[in-house]
Amino acid sequence: MQAPHKEHLYKLLVIGDLGVGKTSIIKRYVHQNFSSHYRATIGVDFALKVLHWDPETVVRLQLWDIAGQERFGNMTRVYYREAMGAFIVFDVTRPATFEAVAKWKNDLDSKLTLPNGKPVSVVLLANKCDQGKDVLMNNGLKMDQFCKEHGFVGWFETSAKENINIDEASRCLVKHILANECDLMESIEPDVVKPHLTSTKVASCSGCAKS
Amino acid sequence: MADSLPTEFDVVIIGTGLPESILAAACSRIGQRVLHIDSRSYYGGNWASFSFSGLLTWLKEHQQNNDIGEESTVEWQDLIHETEEAISLRKKDETIQHTEAFCYASQDMEDNVEEVGALQKNPSSGVSSTFTEVLDSAGLPEDSQSSNFNSDEMSAKHTQKSDREISLEVTDVEESVEKEKYCGDKTCMHTVSDKDGNKDESKSTVEDNANQPIRNRITYLQIVKEGRRFNIDLVSKLLYSQGLLIDLLIKSDVSRYVEFKNVTRILAFREGKVEQVPCSRADVFNSKELTMVEKRMLMKFLTFCLEYEQHPDEYQAFRQCSFSEYLKTKKLTPNLQHFVLHSIAMTSESSCTTIDGLNAIKNFLQCLGRFGNTPFLFPLYGQGEIPQCFCRMCAVFGGIYCLRHKVQCFVVDKESGRCKAIIDHFGQRINAKYFIVEDSYLSEETCSNVQYKQISRAVLITDQSILKTDSDQQTSILIVPPAEPGACAVRVTELCSSTMTCMKDTYLVHLTCSSSKTAREDLESVVKKLFTPYTETEINKEELTKPRLLWALYFNMRDSSGISRSSYNGLPSNVYVCSGPDCGLGNEHAVKQAETLFQEIFPTEEFCPPPPNPEDIIFDGDDKQPESSGTNNVIVATLESSEEGKNQESPEKHLQN
Repeated sequence: MQAPHKEHLYKLLVIGDLGVGKTSIIKRYVHQNFSSHYRATIGVDFALKVLHWDPETVVRLQLWDIAGQERFGNMTRVYYREAMGAFIVFDVTRPATFEAVAKWKNDLDSKLTLPNGKPVSVVLLANKCDQGKDVLMNNGLKMDQFCKEHGFVGWFETSAKENINIDEASRCLVKHILANECDLMESIEPDVVKPHLTSTKVASCSGCAKS
Repeated sequence: MADSLPTEFDVVIIGTGLPESILAAACSRIGQRVLHIDSRSYYGGNWASFSFSGLLTWLKEHQQNNDIGEESTVEWQDLIHETEEAISLRKKDETIQHTEAFCYASQDMEDNVEEVGALQKNPSSGVSSTFTEVLDSAGLPEDSQSSNFNSDEMSAKHTQKSDREISLEVTDVEESVEKEKYCGDKTCMHTVSDKDGNKDESKSTVEDNANQPIRNRITYLQIVKEGRRFNIDLVSKLLYSQGLLIDLLIKSDVSRYVEFKNVTRILAFREGKVEQVPCSRADVFNSKELTMVEKRMLMKFLTFCLEYEQHPDEYQAFRQCSFSEYLKTKKLTPNLQHFVLHSIAMTSESSCTTIDGLNAIKNFLQCLGRFGNTPFLFPLYGQGEIPQCFCRMCAVFGGIYCLRHKVQCFVVDKESGRCKAIIDHFGQRINAKYFIVEDSYLSEETCSNVQYKQISRAVLITDQSILKTDSDQQTSILIVPPAEPGACAVRVTELCSSTMTCMKDTYLVHLTCSSSKTAREDLESVVKKLFTPYTETEINKEELTKPRLLWALYFNMRDSSGISRSSYNGLPSNVYVCSGPDCGLGNEHAVKQAETLFQEIFPTEEFCPPPPNPEDIIFDGDDKQPESSGTNNVIVATLESSEEGKNQESPEKHLQN
């Protein structure tokens, strides 16, 4: 196997009201399964999805679930920090969740920008499209207009249950992120220390007094 | 409606500072149902960090002496049953005092400048822009609200007031006249500028000097525009690379949320000069400040300190002496004694015993080389990240978070003397078994016997490093010894832009000491030794060697560490108190406190164990195990709690403002 030339790691946020199917979408996308049972998300930090984008490029996506209980919009900065894109999800069967979309988008833009100061790419997901299309019917053609007005790079009708459009939505988001990235190279930080469980061994340091 | 909040918890934690956040993560990690609330609009309490505009907002809130228009709070007295009594909590944060901000950078700017890009919204924008000047309780003329003005007119208008202020605070009246000025976001600040007449002169001088080596001119406008680049900590701390906090972060795997920069230099201030302290073997041998003989002496002494316990004969006779006395007997030059005492042991001269000093040096040396060439790490984006990392961990394991949520009182069962519930500002009763509260939430009555210490803090934005080298990306710590015996040493931390705490071409400098007076009285002399106000340098060219001050903030913060539980009046046995930030350099106090309280509450449980291995994932129902190849750090479980399903998770009411 030929080693790919480029690897990208992107942190993506999955945002939206309680019960719109954020966790289902992540599970469907990453684990290819679906369960209608779970109600809140416990112990999930992020899920990793590896995409073989093209023969030369591997894209690793970290999908960050809003920990189910940060329900009052009080997400920590840790959650937003250095994310490159986001999905905002609403439930087509519950109009109130669509009304919250613009608020989530504003909130996101107020808390997160790319290193160059521009807003991150966001794709809107109209989830549970297998269960009816009430909200979309009412909004009809206005969805494109809505996305334009609120700065979404695109929107998809999705169903985590039926596995509809989730891969497509992700490709759309990744495409926009890749297109943006060329002018972000300066954001790579040298000399960053990341202490982890695996790195507990004391580095041998020739310059150290105790050596 | 915010009453979608469940009303039954195991642990309610009030305050999101570091010890409370560690406890929240620890409790939720072992399966306790945790409610974690803060009355403020941001995480961290006095451990928080802010963007520049966020800091100005914070400042404004603390300059409002008069009570913030009491929000309509639901009467709670009726909610207390006959068998119960209430312990009310404090309504207002009183931990910050003597805030004074000074702008030195040029304020030639247009109106209504705002940060570019996302703006940390002012959480109290509903509050009118009137304010009370904290400095001078005599108050200011009401016309201070007039917003846009020409600075010449203004100075004339404010002459009287300026005089009054000068007599109170400014020592060199010759050089500066203080006036106040409204800046972009309507926060009151003092502007220190040349005497009125000099203003134009100094400007033309600058133009004449345009050909000279240019130091970047940073204006106030730029600072405001780039305000998001700043992450300004209210407390200035570092992590010892072998310290308790680093160990806890690694052990609990909270470290996955945080990245660090090495502190790259230890500096010393001697005879008016800033020097780099050699602390590793390589540093010692590369040092230009030390002679060959000194290098040998220092290495020999440091090597001894690492294993001093094995050579009791070397120090036994000096047990009763102070460490500085002891050092005098160790054949070290004055130069080296200074380095060892102030920059390596980082102790104050008078109080430190020989054993304490040797221990401090040993600890310092042991921390060297784990991650870098100094013993210290600084978190990217500031210390304020760390409480949030623990909060994220708590939330990931099911903890519920509510900011801007006030608690009116504890409800105590008369018979058992135990706390049963809290009543929040909606009048909702929230029941729990254990209650953890940060000191500043406790009422005056509860704290009437408590003696608090104070911390003096200064935050400076400067244009150059206090010790210039080839690299402009140095992170440094400097201990400035007290000018007079008995006073406190001042700890100076200088952060460069790659720590993600300040904009490019600036440095963020934190000064900290334990208070004897107001922060400005305690720290201004050190600031003057190290920096030159921006405006003066344009005239005194010879002073250009010092970094220039662009902006400065002084404040005092309450230090509630080290208070014994028995000092508080009438606390129920299941209410536990966390303290605010202490004055120390490391975070050991907060970690120890969190661990101690955790073990008091849950004596048989492990404190912050690592999260379960991905292989132990349990999916509910008929779900298959995930393919292990595609997962990393994914731990999915499910919670069968019925009340979750219907609640709206709308950002609406909580995100306004």
